[in-house]
Amino acid sequence: MRSLPFALALLLAAAPARADTARALDAVLLPGFERFAGATAALARAAAADCTPEALRAPYDAAWDAWVRVGFVGIGPSAGANLSIAFWPDARGATQKALREALAGDPPATADEVARSGAALRGLTALDAILGGDGYRPEGPECRLAAAVAADLAAQAEALAAAWTGHAALMKAAGEPGNATYLTPAEATSALYTQLLAGLEFAADQRLGRPLGEAGRARPARAEAWRTGRPVPNLMAELAALQELALALAPGPLPRSDAAFAEARTALAALSDPTLQDLEDPQARLRAEAAQQRIRAVRDALTAELGPALGVTAGFNALDGD
Amino acid sequence: MPTRRAFLATLAATGSLPALGWADAGSPAWLSCAREADGGFALFGLRADGALAFRQPLPTRGHAGARHPLRPEAVIFARRPGAWALVLDAATGAVAARLAPPAGHQFNGHGAFLQGGALLVTSEQLAETSEGRLGLWAADEGYQRIGDLPSGGIGPHEIRALADGTLVIANGGIATDPTDRTKLNIPDMRPNLAFADAEGRLRAVLEPAPEARQASIRHLAELPDGRIAAAMQWEGEGPPPPLLALARPDGGLAPVAAPEALWPALQGYIGSVAAAGDRIAISSPRGGRMAALATDGRLLVDLARADACGLAAAGAGAFLVTDGSGALFRVGDGPPLLLARHPCAWDNHVVPVG
Repeated sequence: MRSLPFALALLLAAAPARADTARALDAVLLPGFERFAGATAALARAAAADCTPEALRAPYDAAWDAWVRVGFVGIGPSAGANLSIAFWPDARGATQKALREALAGDPPATADEVARSGAALRGLTALDAILGGDGYRPEGPECRLAAAVAADLAAQAEALAAAWTGHAALMKAAGEPGNATYLTPAEATSALYTQLLAGLEFAADQRLGRPLGEAGRARPARAEAWRTGRPVPNLMAELAALQELALALAPGPLPRSDAAFAEARTALAALSDPTLQDLEDPQARLRAEAAQQRIRAVRDALTAELGPALGVTAGFNALDGD
Repeated sequence: MPTRRAFLATLAATGSLPALGWADAGSPAWLSCAREADGGFALFGLRADGALAFRQPLPTRGHAGARHPLRPEAVIFARRPGAWALVLDAATGAVAARLAPPAGHQFNGHGAFLQGGALLVTSEQLAETSEGRLGLWAADEGYQRIGDLPSGGIGPHEIRALADGTLVIANGGIATDPTDRTKLNIPDMRPNLAFADAEGRLRAVLEPAPEARQASIRHLAELPDGRIAAAMQWEGEGPPPPLLALARPDGGLAPVAAPEALWPALQGYIGSVAAAGDRIAISSPRGGRMAALATDGRLLVDLARADACGLAAAGAGAFLVTDGSGALFRVGDGPPLLLARHPCAWDNHVVPVG
């Protein structure tokens, strides 16, 4: 009898370190979705009460910060939800077009009307176009539209947070009978790991890559929410969230990845214009390209350090479909 | 009076002929290509319970295939741009013939038998221009190449023999680089759904509405009422339009009215489509999702499953779903049933042979 606990302890000690999917969900992602819901509710209240840019600035920035900390997640309830929270990239200028059309006619006045008006006129990117537009007047129709968009955004965020509570339960119940989405705990871990890598790719290829444009031709107007100063703050907040998620998921410390994250943040902090509107300047472009390389180096570090620790591999059919 | 050939084709299409000889290959219900744990590629026969019936090594990554309607024989195609197709004789387990596209042509991963199995048609494109061709092979005469005909568009992908003995062609509309898969004409792409007669001659071409022209029509299934379910992948910017349409040769392409949030949840990408009775299953390996729909767009099943792609009917109203982690599910009305899990990554498509 006495040897049993001892044997058990030995077994536990011998077991390989386990990825902590539950910790990643409970300590990072679920609080992140809750914070996003709280931040957008505060923004909606602020917009309903006072439409001046001064009153909206802080809650607007807080909503973006909260969003980019969870917006890189593309699985579960996020898969169908992200596009109408931040409609970006928007190569055809659909948001600007939708905004012009809305203001020329009878703009949506309630959250429901915004929700029915199409993804381009919803969410944070629509708020960037409204609040950052040249003709913004706190007493004009733009103000009422901003309040309606903010109310719809808060409703979306609340629904997303609620749906994630359910999906997190499904991930934690990986391997249980009837759970076809996650057959094993490793599959749930793999799903989160994939989101990490996708988030770093999005940061490097889209958030920085789109305004960098082609060699010799910067495209600053393609930067995300540049009218309201969000490009570099979004990158900073996303990297911070990705690092938290990586550490929560990892069975042990990630020294190489931590160093890579720190270097990426330093490179981003060196960018002179947080809106990325100076990329036609060769020096600014060089610094932005260096930051992009640093973000890609984070991806390489995580692939080398965390991937093997979790024992996961990327998808087969999902990578290049046919 | 129907010809013997047409009679046999009808019999085969209705599935009333026994699958003679497939028993020698372990009685598979389906075939699927896969990548194995060592990185190599193989074709597997899958039994109805998910067990492996046979394994046949492949030279490179495979894609889809076509079962001969009468003989225990199937043709397996390389993934595009494809340089090979293998004719598998199920009775002997041997590769009965190896097909290569003519110079300047590429196989596009799919094919179908017409004329009761006398004619194999391969989905092909000219490497230089991506112009679609239907490769014609005399299946009854050692798979001799006998010519080719226009597919009616650029970059054809799946082609499928219909119960009435004709052919439906998904002309994806995407021109690709001659040497790889780089897309060259996304702003101007013009996909269509084309129909050819039993000789492979074009009879009708259906074009999508202008707002859906950047939705490449790529995969096909036939419903019991003769309608075609055409599944697409969105190449445009912004939210995708409906990516599943129902069509008849003499009608138009009617988008299926599924819940609007489904298409972005599929990441604008359907990788495979199958019909079981009047239910349609679609899969998105990019969205990690499989869904079954009624023809009116009602969502009957919505399953989140990473890298799910291969689909086939598995009894009344149920589907086999395969994924990149080696799992095989039967998905019907109840909870999904895990049939088996094998140490391989199942490729995009499942070919019914049982």
